[in-house]
Amino acid sequence: MNDIGEFALMVALATSIYGTVAYVMAARGNRIDLYLSADKVPFITWGCVMISSIALWKAFFTNDFSLQYVYAYSNIELDYFYKFSSFWGGQKGSLLFWVLILTSYMIVVHIQNRSKNLIVVPYAMAVMLAITVFFLLLLNFSTNPFERIPLPPEDGRGLNPLLQNYWMVIHPPTLYLGYVGFTVPFAFAVAALISKNLDDAWIRLTRKWTVVSWFFLCMGNLFGASWAYVELGWGGYWAWDPVENAAFMPLIVATAYLHSVMIQEKKDMMKVWNMSLILLTFVMTIFGTFITRSGLIQSVHTFDEATLGYYFLGLLFFIIVSCTALIVSRLSLLKSKNELDSFLSREAGFLFNNLLLLGIAFATFWGTIFPIISEAVRGVKITVGPPFYNQVNVPIGLALLALIGIGPIIAWRKATWSNLKKNFLKPLMFAAVGGAILFPIVPLSNRSEIYTYITFILCIFVLSSMLIEFYKGTMARYASSQTYLSALGSLIWNNKRRYGGYTVHIGIVMIYAGIAASSSYGIHTEKRLKIGETIEIRDYTLRYEKLAAIQATSVKTRIVAQLAVEKDGKRIWTARPEKEFYKGQNQPVSEVDVRSTMASDLYVILADFSEDESATIKVYHNPMVKWLWTGGWIIALGTMVSAWPDRLEQRRRLERLKLQKIVFSSAQG
Amino acid sequence: MVIHLKKISVVFFVVLFITIVNSSVASAGAILSDLENQLMCKCDDKCGKVLINCTCSTADKNRKKFTKMLESGLTVDQIVQQQIEKYGETILSAPSKNGFNLTAWVIPFGAIMIGGIGIRKLVNGWVEKKKPAIELKNIEGDAASESGGEKSSEVTSSKYSRRLKDELDRLET
Repeated sequence: MNDIGEFALMVALATSIYGTVAYVMAARGNRIDLYLSADKVPFITWGCVMISSIALWKAFFTNDFSLQYVYAYSNIELDYFYKFSSFWGGQKGSLLFWVLILTSYMIVVHIQNRSKNLIVVPYAMAVMLAITVFFLLLLNFSTNPFERIPLPPEDGRGLNPLLQNYWMVIHPPTLYLGYVGFTVPFAFAVAALISKNLDDAWIRLTRKWTVVSWFFLCMGNLFGASWAYVELGWGGYWAWDPVENAAFMPLIVATAYLHSVMIQEKKDMMKVWNMSLILLTFVMTIFGTFITRSGLIQSVHTFDEATLGYYFLGLLFFIIVSCTALIVSRLSLLKSKNELDSFLSREAGFLFNNLLLLGIAFATFWGTIFPIISEAVRGVKITVGPPFYNQVNVPIGLALLALIGIGPIIAWRKATWSNLKKNFLKPLMFAAVGGAILFPIVPLSNRSEIYTYITFILCIFVLSSMLIEFYKGTMARYASSQTYLSALGSLIWNNKRRYGGYTVHIGIVMIYAGIAASSSYGIHTEKRLKIGETIEIRDYTLRYEKLAAIQATSVKTRIVAQLAVEKDGKRIWTARPEKEFYKGQNQPVSEVDVRSTMASDLYVILADFSEDESATIKVYHNPMVKWLWTGGWIIALGTMVSAWPDRLEQRRRLERLKLQKIVFSSAQG
Repeated sequence: MVIHLKKISVVFFVVLFITIVNSSVASAGAILSDLENQLMCKCDDKCGKVLINCTCSTADKNRKKFTKMLESGLTVDQIVQQQIEKYGETILSAPSKNGFNLTAWVIPFGAIMIGGIGIRKLVNGWVEKKKPAIELKNIEGDAASESGGEKSSEVTSSKYSRRLKDELDRLET
């Protein structure tokens, strides 16, 4: 099976090279015979990559340690659940997984668009195939997952214990679905540039891909944060690690792109900007891969055998140079038909939203590469950690939060004073009242707490502006509906994109509130306890009951502490934090126990223990962490609503374009 | 009214900014956390984590050592300075705010300010460009109403067209 897998990778490479050339030649020479021939390539490539993937999975499940990759990331005792995820646990498998997702997406794009646009689609397919060729070249000639060991060992080294967590089964695929997903809009953008079809057709063809990829990237980041929270055992969820930054940057740039395409769709403006943004989003996804696979930057997330830096650097260079040249050569065709009417308008709001989002992305990028710059300039490699990112990104993030509230309620084209007063008065009043109520309640003793207070006020402002929009729309429809609920349902159903977007914004507000509260008001305590002793935090008393050693498998031993958690004298929960010892690993892995409510998390860690059963227990009280995860699910709901197929939308768009054409021609004539 | 509001907003934001900048970074109970936040973990595994985020045994030992140092009367700045002398700048979790390192702090905000000025100039340019066209239309409209007759209907039509355009702009796609 390994030979078949290896051979299938070679066939996939050969067919995808053929497909790239055939699609380009078919499009350039209008050769229908070549087009029909190339049309089969996505299926063949996907089939071959799938065969390779199945071969690798089979090797994991059958403990075939003759494969170096299986030996390095699995062992006989490893749970089947984690054997499945070991596939993407290392560099080689993760690259194969990347190609598997890319070729799967390619098939869907192919089926969706086969008969839609015969000028743009062949070029888009060629771009996607060319990217597939790059990854297949690496897999075949540089980092082959089917590399053999001449004398196979009896057992493998096993998967890194930190990766043996259910979030690590979900988090990487989700992130990859997002990363790879942006290949589709990028490919269509390049195809539009090459074929000079520079209206908004490519944006409409890829809108859902953009939304869905953005969603996966967003959820991938949140799942990663969840993993860090429960697995790394330091009480937090985000450490501004270079690899976390690498996943965060494309998300931020993609968010800017998602907003600015709306102006192109509505106003036929910002074409160059949108092209640049989608290029930048894709470049950032490759940059993320470069960071994890180059060995350039030290991180807990980088792959052990990070040796592919130069290849990815070459790819980045090629993409940036060729796409910039393409955009420059098409500048005359990318000229906007319309311009802004006023500084006080929703369009200008979008511009500032883009500026702030790119500001955050740039600050994060700058912080990530600054150690390298410092080393090059001064010969001193310094560290850029959370204090830098928090101090730089928090003020920008707050301005962005304000814009989330301003954007949906400021008028298109030009806001007048009366319009501003009408739309802003109520949200501002709610924010002022909320601020006044919170003022005596929340502590304001340091910079972080003041920022949090401002965040809360802005959250109230944004939330009220969103809810007022829902309220106004519902009331307008209530006359023709029987109940408020059906009016609300009909409002959302008939304007999925708009209200789906607002729902996403509500989720974002919850995430802001959760981050602000947990990072400012979190407290922790630590105590060495003997059986029967207690440790206190806020209103909770934790009584240490017992310590147990459990031989889970032949390679894993669990040491579990049991603590009774009491509040107001009543036992409300039993905490069981543990330490897991893996054979052959220097450091044990902490498995924390968390009691999570919307108000706060009680986060218990077994920091240390000794033979007399005494143990060091660390307890964190983190307020509102659950708001982050709940915000994530609200974002999921909003994205689902927004991306739901909408026949009405297409009809409305056509009617709108028709009306606009009449109006513009009469106004300009 | 608008000017008055503008003045109040400016004063509000200046006061807010000064309050944030001048506020003390850490309360007494958070001194150790503040110190842990400023230093990287220096374990053999080269984990690359900030001390406050690290759970390895070296980090635990260092925490205990720093607690004792704080209890002995040393300040956070003194301990940080000691650590820099021992390990060099790499021990710091963020660049210092002087010399070349200052560029790390200044450039992101500088980029945003330049971007903001660019957007303002761009939008102002667009708005200014549109003004003469609108004024010209108004003059044409006046001339038409003076001469009466057939052009007045065009002016009315243009007025309604503009209004319709505004209405359409308010529609969502």
